[in-house]
Amino acid sequence: MGGRSGGTEPDDEALLRRVARGDQGAFEEFYRRTAPWLVIRLRRRCADPDVVAEVMQDAYVAVWRSAASYGGSAGGGSAAGWLWTIAARRLVDRFRARARQEASPRPVTVEPTSPAAEDVVVGRVLDDPVAGAVRELAPELREVVQAMVLDGLSVRQTSVLLGVPEGTVKTRARRARLLLREVLS
Amino acid sequence: MTAGHPSQALLDRYATEVDLPPDALWAVEVHLDGCAACRARLADAAVDHAPSVGELVDQVWAEVAPVVRAEPPVRRRRWPVLSRWAAPASLPWLLTSVLVPFVAMAMDLIAATLPVDPGRPSVLLLVAPVVPVLGVATSWSRRLDPAHELVGSAPRAGLGMVLRRTLVVLLVVLPPLAVAGVVVGTAPALWLLPSLVVVTGTLTLGAYVGVGPAAVLATVGWVAAVVAPSLVWDGFPAVLGPDTTPVWAVCAVLATIAFVLSRHAFRHPVSYR
Repeated sequence: MGGRSGGTEPDDEALLRRVARGDQGAFEEFYRRTAPWLVIRLRRRCADPDVVAEVMQDAYVAVWRSAASYGGSAGGGSAAGWLWTIAARRLVDRFRARARQEASPRPVTVEPTSPAAEDVVVGRVLDDPVAGAVRELAPELREVVQAMVLDGLSVRQTSVLLGVPEGTVKTRARRARLLLREVLS
Repeated sequence: MTAGHPSQALLDRYATEVDLPPDALWAVEVHLDGCAACRARLADAAVDHAPSVGELVDQVWAEVAPVVRAEPPVRRRRWPVLSRWAAPASLPWLLTSVLVPFVAMAMDLIAATLPVDPGRPSVLLLVAPVVPVLGVATSWSRRLDPAHELVGSAPRAGLGMVLRRTLVVLLVVLPPLAVAGVVVGTAPALWLLPSLVVVTGTLTLGAYVGVGPAAVLATVGWVAAVVAPSLVWDGFPAVLGPDTTPVWAVCAVLATIAFVLSRHAFRHPVSYR
């Protein structure tokens, strides 16, 4: 991989449009560009590398088959955002299938670690009130906000991903909203 | 929110499976969503700090590549909105329906140059009332739609789709009819009402016997009762005379009422034949 020489390379959206016309080279380039990002993002939601691999495979096959249905930037999304939407749905599907087979399909949840050490590495990414608000959110509220806002999942999909009932997802989303509003205002 | 791009240190940490504070995690993910340059930086960071990412990427590519080589992607639907309004497979049929008035027009123009009796009716006028029905047959017919099993079970199936597609058919078929009529010198008033009655009657009948069979019935009936006799005996058909307009208007109202009353029958698969 690598081999990114900069300059006048087509952007991901242009690549997808070429993929829609059946351009295998464009698809490979799109894969090489986006796959590492997608693996990393999926790994932060699912610790099982086999599941991540399956989701990746499903998602990219779906991209290849249905690139024509990608609406383009005008359709309201970047190529990466479109890819993530597909991958997130596949991930939820995997969890749903697993939930049917086994009892406890819990994804990795972010364990709170000592903030001081990370602050040094990470620096100030968000404005202080926002960062504070996010950090003060209880983990179970945060994972709901993350699934629904960042990953763009529905209530039902979130409940599958997190393994909690839909009603709980709704309650937590409401509580998180109230808390964030309070802190940010 | 972020003042520019995330730092290299943050991207390095994000690439690994090491935990990040949630606010940093969110900020990075939102930024990466929209920044191709940082996704490239992240890929480079993964090469240095998380070799398992590269392994997984290669492993998945080994699975995906054969699929890509084996099958072409699904063809782009050029007119995605249009296909919601008409069965794509019905296009050739529709074009044929559009051709009918022009063929009739040609016959009329040829007949005008021949020394035949001037009282003979225009062929165009004779066929005009059933030309829209030819198109309507495509609006809700299994034979003309290879995807009929999907269409028939769609939530939109039924009256709404029938009306929608009928509207499209009429929009496609009526203008050529009108143009051909102007060329030949036939007043649209003479055939517009009869064709409205025939179309509405076909749909009403179609609710019970299927739109396709109803269209066939209407066309055959019209040809047998009106077109053939007046061509054989060279007489102007009484049913298309100027003084029959009020009768046709009453028939149109009655047919519309009958159609409205039978609208629920379109939920039944019998209508879709």
